[in-house]
Amino acid sequence: MAKEMIAMILAGGQGSRLYALTQKLAKPAVPFGGKYRIIDFPLSNCANSGIDTVGILTQYQPLVLNEYIGNGQPWDLDRLYGGVHVLPPYQQASGSDWYKGTANAIYQNLSFIDRYDPQYVIILSGDQICKQDYSDFLRFHKEKGAEFSVAVMEVPWEEASRFGLMVADENDKITEFQEKPKEPKSNLASMGIYIFNTDVLKKYLIEDEADPNSQNDFGNNIIPNLLKDGRNMYAYHFNGYWKDVGTIPSLWEANMEIMDPEHSGIDLFDENWKIYSRNSGLTGHKIGMNAVVENSMITDGCRIEGTVKHSILFAGVQVEAGAVVQDAVIMGNVIIKEGSVVEHCIVAENAIIGENAVVGAMPSNKGNSVATVGPGVYIGDHAKVGPDAMVNHNVKDGEVQW
Amino acid sequence: MVNSNCDALSIIFPNSYDNQVPELVSERLMASIPFASRYRMIDFLLSSMVNCGIDNIIMIVRKNYRSLMRHLGSGREWDLTRKNGGLNIVPPFAEKTVHVYNGRVEALASIIEFLKNQREKYVFISDANIAANFDFNAMLDAHIASGADVTIAYKEEEIPYGFMNLQSTMSSDLYYTLSVEDGRVKEIQINPKESGKQNFSMNIYLIDRELLIDQITKAYARGYIYFERDILAPQLNTLKVYGYNYEGYCVRISDIKNYFDENMKLLDNENLDSLFHAPIYTKIRDDNPTRYIGSAKVKNAMVADGCVIEGEVENCILFRGVKIGRGAKVKNCVLMQDTVVESNADVEYIITDKEVTITSGKELKGSDTFPVFVAPRKTV
Repeated sequence: MAKEMIAMILAGGQGSRLYALTQKLAKPAVPFGGKYRIIDFPLSNCANSGIDTVGILTQYQPLVLNEYIGNGQPWDLDRLYGGVHVLPPYQQASGSDWYKGTANAIYQNLSFIDRYDPQYVIILSGDQICKQDYSDFLRFHKEKGAEFSVAVMEVPWEEASRFGLMVADENDKITEFQEKPKEPKSNLASMGIYIFNTDVLKKYLIEDEADPNSQNDFGNNIIPNLLKDGRNMYAYHFNGYWKDVGTIPSLWEANMEIMDPEHSGIDLFDENWKIYSRNSGLTGHKIGMNAVVENSMITDGCRIEGTVKHSILFAGVQVEAGAVVQDAVIMGNVIIKEGSVVEHCIVAENAIIGENAVVGAMPSNKGNSVATVGPGVYIGDHAKVGPDAMVNHNVKDGEVQW
Repeated sequence: MVNSNCDALSIIFPNSYDNQVPELVSERLMASIPFASRYRMIDFLLSSMVNCGIDNIIMIVRKNYRSLMRHLGSGREWDLTRKNGGLNIVPPFAEKTVHVYNGRVEALASIIEFLKNQREKYVFISDANIAANFDFNAMLDAHIASGADVTIAYKEEEIPYGFMNLQSTMSSDLYYTLSVEDGRVKEIQINPKESGKQNFSMNIYLIDRELLIDQITKAYARGYIYFERDILAPQLNTLKVYGYNYEGYCVRISDIKNYFDENMKLLDNENLDSLFHAPIYTKIRDDNPTRYIGSAKVKNAMVADGCVIEGEVENCILFRGVKIGRGAKVKNCVLMQDTVVESNADVEYIITDKEVTITSGKELKGSDTFPVFVAPRKTV
């Protein structure tokens, strides 16, 4: 039986600007929001939208991501026919290639798409935080009789030149595409989420592959080619929460926004649109006798004896007595020892912050930087990590790292 | 065949001692009573079995088992969706007339053909009123080392008030103490009333599968009901019945007060770590992390995921999805899943079952010796 629509998630991104966090894992596997990883968002959106066949295109450091996806059961994507499949580059009789670009990654997996013979293919990005109903997007695509649709968001005009922009008429038909233009004619930014009619997708991917000068990229090549040929292209307006967490400050900010759903619009408490994840299996968290917890999100397995203010704690974090954690994102199993002060920063999984150490600092008038401690890093007793630091190796007792 | 697993299967009786906590089992059974902020009683022994490599588990249910079936599903969370073995729930069998078994003998007789077809050499039998991170392999090793026919796990402890005062005549509600000499059980006492520490049976038995089939077949033919009284006790001279002294942390639900106390004891990290030294699995709900907002003040509490806390919480166990409104005061309480305490309510020493609502401004207080219980889905 053919599927109506299958999803292909581009998850090969290195996320180089997240440096310390993505040394050993791909950006879609970066932990987010207390108990999730970024990839949970597109996967949960698929499950909640009724999409039961998903290909995940991986390339960079796929180990953590592969293990995390497993058989797809947490997202209800363990299916007899369909389900979730991780698709790394592979060898073929004609040779082998890394994925050269976003379009090439899909091109190399056309045979996967063929297996399910879908009418439509939705291309998703594995590194965005967004709750979106793809079935509504498909409804729009069908209503317009589109061959290609792209989800767009209105962005402030002054920031428009940072994005790929769609110029559309009053019927949402796309007339022009501008990639990061100096003089924007539109403020409709592409979210990098596309629905294609499968036959159109295949035709353009095959033609693109034959063009030696192409960068094999959707934004740079496929979309301009579609436009050139006067295809039926439409822009689907999305106005929910959307964030590309490509940098440390944006990742930190998106985490902070979870604690303020009333204003930020990212609501993880929606019973009708749950975000699924692989579970830690730890006990409920414990708040101790002398602990202070204010405006924070805390999950299973945490033990809090110190002070936690406006922070997100992932599973199994320990905050010892006298320690202060503020405006911080503390990933799984981090230990924050007695008397240390951890502020305005991201501390990655399994790091240990020694006694009376200082990590990060509350923003002053000089700036708003977010200190970062990489996974498994040991910050020694009385050591200091400055607000601009990105620490990827152990810091000895008493040392200072700027 | 590669033998990476324990050479034993397990039979669990999820309904045993239901009568001790009538409040909690109005819509469920002992095995599915919520415990320790995000678990059900069955999770503990079931996870322990799985952690010990037991992957062929039979549950002989008696009544009120819908909540248990919903909780266990296919057994996936416990890694029990297996082609061979796995989780097998056996409801009462409708033969001519629907018949609910009365004692273990009858219950075991109903699965005797199944038992004959299994491959494991040994059988563990247990109830579900115990929460312990139990090492079944250690008990098996002791069983083999002693050359016993039957091994009974016991714990040296006082018999809780809830057992002594139960006026039930249900066979599944009898309790036993053991007289043990050099490891061997010399006598089994039924419903003893002595105070002080006793060798209090945990009703976890280990027996050779062939022997079990033989004993049950004979006992059933004679119309026996009780496994302990009618099979073990009379044959202590001929069968080698050994005691296995369990020294680990053990929760045994005996009445509603004890249920309250056992939850509260987990606020002590030492107790919590003893109970959870190996992972305990449970059904996943995909709740978001718990959110503490604005005026929330929390002291000495165990809190599961999915809660939203705006009020004051002290000495509490909060299950998944509990909401505490602004200005509400919650002290010394056990609030089960999806309980809502609205703004400015003031509660102390209460146990709420699931989906209870305490409306705005209400005051409800039990006491240290008598926690007030609010039944599921009630609004105060």
